Amino acid sequence: MTLDVKLGIKPGLAESWQQPDAKTVVFKLRRGVKFHDGTDFNAEAARFNFNRMKTEPKSVRKGEVASIDSVDVVDASTIKLNLKRPDAALLATLTDRAGMMVSPKVVQERGSELERNAKGAGTGPFEFVEWVKDDHILIKRNESYWNKQGGPYLDRIRYRPIPDDTVKLQSLQTGEIDVMDYVQPRDVAAVKADRNVVVVDVPSLADFAYQLNHMRPPFATRALRQAVALSLDLDQIVKGVWLNVGVPANGPIPPTSWAYDKSIPPIKRDLARARAKLAEGGQPNGFTFTMTTNNIPINVQEAEVIQAQLREAGITMKIKLADSATLIADGNNKNFEMISYQWSGRPDPDGNTYQFYKTTQGTSLNWSGISHPQIDALLDRTREVSSQAERRKLFSDLTKLLQEELPMVFIIHPIEPKAFSPKVQGYEPIPDGMMRFKDVWLQ
Amino acid sequence: MGRLVLRRLGSTVPVLLLVTAGVFLLLHLTPGDPIDVMMAESVDVTVKENLRRELGLDRPLYVQYATWMGRLLKADLGRSIRNGEPVIENVSRRLRPSLELALCAMAISLMIAFPLGIVCAVRRNTPIDRAGATFAVVGICMPNFLLALLLIFLFGVTLRWLPISGYTDPLDEPWNGLRSLALPAVTLGLALAAVVTRTLRSSLLEALAEDYVRTARAKGLSEWRVIWSHALKNALIPVVTVLGLQLGTLIGGAVITEYVFALPGVGRLVVDAVFARDYPLVQGVVLLIAVGFIVSNLIVDVLYGWIDPRIRSR
Repeated sequence: MTLDVKLGIKPGLAESWQQPDAKTVVFKLRRGVKFHDGTDFNAEAARFNFNRMKTEPKSVRKGEVASIDSVDVVDASTIKLNLKRPDAALLATLTDRAGMMVSPKVVQERGSELERNAKGAGTGPFEFVEWVKDDHILIKRNESYWNKQGGPYLDRIRYRPIPDDTVKLQSLQTGEIDVMDYVQPRDVAAVKADRNVVVVDVPSLADFAYQLNHMRPPFATRALRQAVALSLDLDQIVKGVWLNVGVPANGPIPPTSWAYDKSIPPIKRDLARARAKLAEGGQPNGFTFTMTTNNIPINVQEAEVIQAQLREAGITMKIKLADSATLIADGNNKNFEMISYQWSGRPDPDGNTYQFYKTTQGTSLNWSGISHPQIDALLDRTREVSSQAERRKLFSDLTKLLQEELPMVFIIHPIEPKAFSPKVQGYEPIPDGMMRFKDVWLQ
Repeated sequence: MGRLVLRRLGSTVPVLLLVTAGVFLLLHLTPGDPIDVMMAESVDVTVKENLRRELGLDRPLYVQYATWMGRLLKADLGRSIRNGEPVIENVSRRLRPSLELALCAMAISLMIAFPLGIVCAVRRNTPIDRAGATFAVVGICMPNFLLALLLIFLFGVTLRWLPISGYTDPLDEPWNGLRSLALPAVTLGLALAAVVTRTLRSSLLEALAEDYVRTARAKGLSEWRVIWSHALKNALIPVVTVLGLQLGTLIGGAVITEYVFALPGVGRLVVDAVFARDYPLVQGVVLLIAVGFIVSNLIVDVLYGWIDPRIRSR
């Protein structure tokens, strides 16, 4: 399946689907589709892919297809997924990497070589040509793409890694490249003023927040978590640090999502209440804690603004700067008091919530260690009911509860601006972060 | 000469042992785990555990080090955790751009430093000498990334003479390749030229004050002959030392320049590998960089002997 700009799920290799009951999904697959190696895409190939994701020892997709118990081939173009439990997020998950099908023949012939050479493996509008390590990936138009509406128009696309943001931008401005995947907030204003460049603000699914460690003081005390949240001025952070390239967050679900409840405001700064909460938490004169964050400019700036805002409430925050690997290790080991967490987001709100707030033992993305029966119940319920209206209501209740319990303080849902040469036409900004070039052409 | 080379090679073994053990220990003492970095957005603990077991990361540190050493003795540097390819392939792919960049930068620096250093020494305390000193101070003080961005702005964005980023191998496409290396080579070359100019100036001044120079002048040799055949050769020893040390730094340590110009070199490889906690890759690259330093110093020693035969016989 694929996504449209409103995150609606559209048919792709699956032409249609239905759910006879909460634990069964039946997919009608498109006929006549061929992989780039010329073999047929059919029910047998789809089953092969699901089984590979589930059983391959090194599969990184395993978690995404965990709810699938088995896959039956009904006929050459129909498959039936039997689920272990109801999974309302499954369809959205299949718009992402878990729904991308590869040729069984290529997998069997190439084995682990596939990750370096994907020639012939896919079904998409462009096919793999070469990957010159550290230099570029080249793909070319698939002349026999099944969807004859619109593109693919481009002959070839070359992906180049350019690590320095300034140089990347200058490469675009001078025409060395045509598309740039991300513009830093600090560059957005200048780039928008440049007539040689077109900027498209792509809303994202991301939520940028700080996890608070519930397993140790000071944030084992709810009132102290609330004191921190009430001391923060999100508008100032979004305006001053992010230069308005994003919106203040009211919770983990981004405004692009159907589940976003705009009637819930982000937590407002209220220093009087923050002081009251400090007193309630047994620290009327404030307290000291350490925040761990990534050592990159925008994170450091944000940390400094937060530090200044907390100081006005009498709270002293020390800043510990770390590289990503240290940050992840500290998070997984719960070796932090407050830690930066920047989640890229998933099309279904489940991907922004369940794994962070559901009670779990051992290592998980629930770094805060929150364990709250009501939150657990709400999260389970969102997976069981399939009506979107009902799920939206559950996610609203969850957002309100998270603002009370504060496993995280939510800061911003960033926008991901992308920049184009003016000759690039037809780009559709889909908020999941993937750039699709099927209907793009050069003027 | 052969004895010198052999003796030098023998003394490198403990150096390399120390380097590998040090890097191994430092890396493993740093918090962070390669598998967690690789699968940051995945929570599947069993998949991660399987990978750790397969890669031997679950075993005690001394076992891991012993295994790595054992492989090294069989000339096997292991495989990168991140991309699964042999370390040696990762490095050799990155070595060519780095070597080409280092050689171009060195050529540029010599083209600037030799004439400038000689003129400054010969015309000591004149405006030319002071201009040379100013160039040297600016060259040494100017941070790489700033110079790089200024060059990009001037030659890439404003004049559009040269590409801004990326790498083309000069051995495949000589013209485009040299164009792609021009800005980074100048970035590195200018700073090196500054150091070499100063070194050459001071050692040449010293040589020019020696008795044999006065003798040569008394014999009626032209000033040009005095400088070229008598003073310069003796003034070269410190210059060769500086160049030898810098060659190693240029190959392994041009991280910022490689980063800015998106050049796939060794410096960036090792930094990326550290951030990914790709232990075998970091160790392999550091080992090879250390070998590179040793070899370039060995070349310097051999050159000493050629420049000054007294060193050879000692």
